[in-house]
Amino acid sequence: MRVHDIVIHEADAVRIDAVLGRFLADSSCAAALLIDRSGQPLAESGVSRTLDTGSIGALAAGAFSATAALARLLGESEFSVLFHEGVRESMHVSTVDDDTILLAIFDERTTVGMVRLFAREASTSIGGILEESRKRPKRVGALAAPLTAEEMRRAGDHRSA
Amino acid sequence: MSIINYAARVINFKVVYYGPGLAGKTANLQNIHQRLPDGNKGKMISLATGDDRTLFFDFLPVSALGVRGFTTRFQLYTVPGQTHYNMTRKLVLRGVDGVVFVADSQWDRLRDNVESYRNLDENLKEYGLNLATIPLVMQYNKRDLDRIAPMDYMEFLLNRGERRVPSFEAVAVDGTGVFDTLNTVSRLVLVKEFGQVQEAGA
Repeated sequence: MRVHDIVIHEADAVRIDAVLGRFLADSSCAAALLIDRSGQPLAESGVSRTLDTGSIGALAAGAFSATAALARLLGESEFSVLFHEGVRESMHVSTVDDDTILLAIFDERTTVGMVRLFAREASTSIGGILEESRKRPKRVGALAAPLTAEEMRRAGDHRSA
Repeated sequence: MSIINYAARVINFKVVYYGPGLAGKTANLQNIHQRLPDGNKGKMISLATGDDRTLFFDFLPVSALGVRGFTTRFQLYTVPGQTHYNMTRKLVLRGVDGVVFVADSQWDRLRDNVESYRNLDENLKEYGLNLATIPLVMQYNKRDLDRIAPMDYMEFLLNRGERRVPSFEAVAVDGTGVFDTLNTVSRLVLVKEFGQVQEAGA
C-alpha cells in the first residue's frame, strides 16, 4: 500500500474551510476536523482553543486504522464509519478518501443520522478538492528551492529548555 | 509522508522510534518531552498496558524554528516492541518520513535487535518504503550498563552494508544522545524532502 503525499494549497484550504463550515451549519455539529490517516491534522472548523487537535488526530487515526485492520480480519475492506457516543459529546469518524478522514464532534443538538448524512456530502466535496490538489506541484513559492545548510539546521533543531 | 499546508504555513513530518521491546523508545520521547520548552512541544500521549509497556504507540508533537516562514512540526511516535504486536507496528508506520532505530546494547538483547531490524524492513515494504532510502538514524541505547557490546560490534550487527547511517550512543533515561538523535533524524527528513544546496567548500 502506497501512501500519497498531501499538500494543502491556499486556494484549496479556502474551499475546504467553506465545505467544513457548511457541514457544521447543515449538521449542527460543534466541530469538524480533517486529518490524514497517519494522524496529522489538515483542516478544522468550529474547533475551540481548548481542543487538542494534535492529540485527537493521532488517537482518532490510530483507532480508525485499528478498526480497519479488524474489518479486514472479518473479510471487509474497512468499516467506513466509527461512532463514539459520550454522555454530552459524541464523535463521528468517517472516510473521505484513501488518505484522509473526517472527524465530527457533536452534542445533543443533533443526531448521528444527521451527522452521517451531511458528513457523506462533505466527504465527497473534500475528496474532490484533494484529488485536484494532488495534481499540482508539491513545492511552490518559498519552498520551491532546496534549503541551505543553515536553513536545514534551523528547521530541524530541537533544544532542551 | 510529509504534509505541506500553505494556508497554515506548516510542514508536518512523522518520525517513528522503532526497536525491540524495552530498548528505550518510550524513554526517548519522555526525555524529549521533559526537556523541550513548552512552546516547542504538545501533549505526550502513551497508550500503554498496566505495566507501562507500550500497547499501541506513544505520541509527542514537537516543533523546531521553521524555514522560510513555515513552521516545521515533527510528530514523534513509538511502536510497541514486543514481537506479537506486529499488526500494530505496521499501523503506526503508515505515512512515516523518518525512523530512529533504538537498539538495546546489552549482549543478551542483540538477537532481539536484529529481529526487530528485519521486522522494520518487512513492514516498511508494505508501504513501498525501504531501509536503503528512508531517513534513518541508529541509536545504541543503555550504554551506561555493564554487560553491553562494544560500539564496533553494534555497528557490525546493525549498520553495515552499502548504506551507513548516522549512529549515536545513548542513555535515554538521562538524556545522553537523545537530542543528537532527534536533531539528526529531523535534518535527514528535511534533506530528503527539500534537497540541500551544495555550497562552495562543502
